[in-house]
Amino acid sequence: MTEKLAFLGIDVGSISTKAVIIDKTRAILAREYIWTEGNPLQAVKKLLSLLAQQFDPQSRQIVGVGVTGSARRLVGAMVGATMVKNEITAHAVGTTSFHPDVRTILEIGGQDSKIILVENGVAIDYAMNTLCAAGTGAFLSSQARRLGIDVEEMGAYALKSEHPTLIAARCTVFAESDLVHKIQMGHPREDIIAGVCRAVASNYINNVAKGKKIVSPVVFQGGVSKNIGVVHAFEDLLQCPIIVDENGHLMGAMGAAILAQRSPKRTAFDFSVRNMEFVTRERNCGGCSNHCEVICVYRDGELVDSWGNRCERGAV
Amino acid sequence: MKKKVALPRYGEYNCAMKYLVEQGFDYECLLPPPLTRRSEELGAKNSPDLVCTPFKTTLGSMIEALEAGADMIIMVYGACRLNYYAELQEQILRDLGYTFDFVNLSLYNTGKKWDLLRAVKAINPDASVVKVGRTLLEAAKMVEHLDEITARYYQNCGFDPSGAYPKVYQQFLADMYAARSRAEIEEGYLAALQGFDRVPLQKPANPIRVGILGEYYTVMDPFSNLEIERKLADMGVEVHRWMNITSDLLHNEGRKQQAQILDRSAFSMGGNATADLYQAQCFAQQGFDGLVHVKSAGCTPETDVMPVLANLSQDYKIPILYLTYDSQTSDVGLMTRLEAFYDMIEMRKKAIL
Repeated sequence: MTEKLAFLGIDVGSISTKAVIIDKTRAILAREYIWTEGNPLQAVKKLLSLLAQQFDPQSRQIVGVGVTGSARRLVGAMVGATMVKNEITAHAVGTTSFHPDVRTILEIGGQDSKIILVENGVAIDYAMNTLCAAGTGAFLSSQARRLGIDVEEMGAYALKSEHPTLIAARCTVFAESDLVHKIQMGHPREDIIAGVCRAVASNYINNVAKGKKIVSPVVFQGGVSKNIGVVHAFEDLLQCPIIVDENGHLMGAMGAAILAQRSPKRTAFDFSVRNMEFVTRERNCGGCSNHCEVICVYRDGELVDSWGNRCERGAV
Repeated sequence: MKKKVALPRYGEYNCAMKYLVEQGFDYECLLPPPLTRRSEELGAKNSPDLVCTPFKTTLGSMIEALEAGADMIIMVYGACRLNYYAELQEQILRDLGYTFDFVNLSLYNTGKKWDLLRAVKAINPDASVVKVGRTLLEAAKMVEHLDEITARYYQNCGFDPSGAYPKVYQQFLADMYAARSRAEIEEGYLAALQGFDRVPLQKPANPIRVGILGEYYTVMDPFSNLEIERKLADMGVEVHRWMNITSDLLHNEGRKQQAQILDRSAFSMGGNATADLYQAQCFAQQGFDGLVHVKSAGCTPETDVMPVLANLSQDYKIPILYLTYDSQTSDVGLMTRLEAFYDMIEMRKKAIL
């Protein structure tokens, strides 16, 4: 029976929700990628329905579920995860399993960006944007909207440019006013778009990757890695080839599944959770003037988990 | 009725301030309420926007002390912009309409002979200088004990499955806040030492060790750093913090520290930059698994320290997590970063062994 075990990994981000099912050799049995659309619980239900169509429960049994991403706690409570891990660890584990020789992982997502340095397949240093979300996918989306194109088309436009417009990259707010100014000055559209892509890359190198030594091979992932314009800007600025994996968007989910496999915890997972009703309620604890916001998760009316309290006074 | 005197909340050091105010100056010490989000909001609302978070937090704590009926506020000084904070905070509080006595200790930091005497007389003209002097030494002893017990607590509490360790620590703090004599201070200290000794720890031979360093107020005040030491300790980490009042004020080795890091930083960059780099180098040389650098947004000395730390990190191959705090309301982002940092140094340690 052991060769028939399978592991589910789910990565619930702010923008997209991803999942993979792997067997114990880490071959992908099923994969799915959908938009979160501001409702992580609904997105996971939909995701599970899509996965169930690709997966034959007669031949294999899912015995471990790993969850990562910003909604990991909520979704972990929902699916009864055996492993709940932060997205930085999950990405490092996922990427190093696909690219064992990787030395630097660049990652730009919807609203955060990070860099992970790897040596001998183990993460040795990382950095993540802290107070500011400049130069992330959200910036690209809003600028695409301003220019009246789809964010997916940006890369193709950028490649047409021969003289990318210089756009101040230090801060998103300043970058935006600089951009408006350059548009009004009459700079060609493709040059502006290439300039925006370049601004994202140089902002990343100057802020997130500041003081870190970027060593090849470099893997670039996260939603923004699908933008060929930003990939080219990185190649230009770092003077080294940039690897973009076609499964790059699945690395977090992959890492979560592998971590679930490594963990000794086992429970049989049942796709029927997608038919259960999950409700979350927020409760303000009045124990002191911290007014902790305690989140309670109910499955079919029964409390399954709660968090957000800073002390036992707020325990539910 | 005795005058009610308050100093803003600062970690657990208020116990020693209370001791000095009550036993030395013969006033009643009013402890401001423990820091909460309300303190921070009150402070932020009435502060210049770009000033560092400790200014806002201490201002909020002063407002809460005045609300609770404080007659006098005392504010300290330091080695950075903190020198000007008391003056500005007093003005803000007066503009808010409060009536109170204010002692700005930075006025007595002139380097002249009678500084200490003038400060004592400013707080209470009737105080006996001899008595204040003696109490000051006792309060300093309390600070030493507090720092020693706190250090031992965070180095070990992550390896105590019984949950007895926090109880010993809480009892120690309660004893220090209640102490009225040197004998009671020593009694509480010995009880804590013995209490810790009785707790069986399950610590591996080579535990994960993390050094915490950074800006003075944020690194020492658990509310301001969102209890980073406890969070790390709970993951099973031996947490070390060199920076405390004992190391920095009572037994400062400034010149010696500067000499040790001359090749990294030729002169002092203000605040506790020198001490920071010195301790980072010590931790690295002792083979720590990682460092966490903590600062409030807008702290200039600590911002200057970061590139030097980056070099140190490369030379000694020690990962450093940089955290910048502003008036945050949620610790979810911090937990993500801390967990990832822990996973990284743990996997790295396993790979090296």
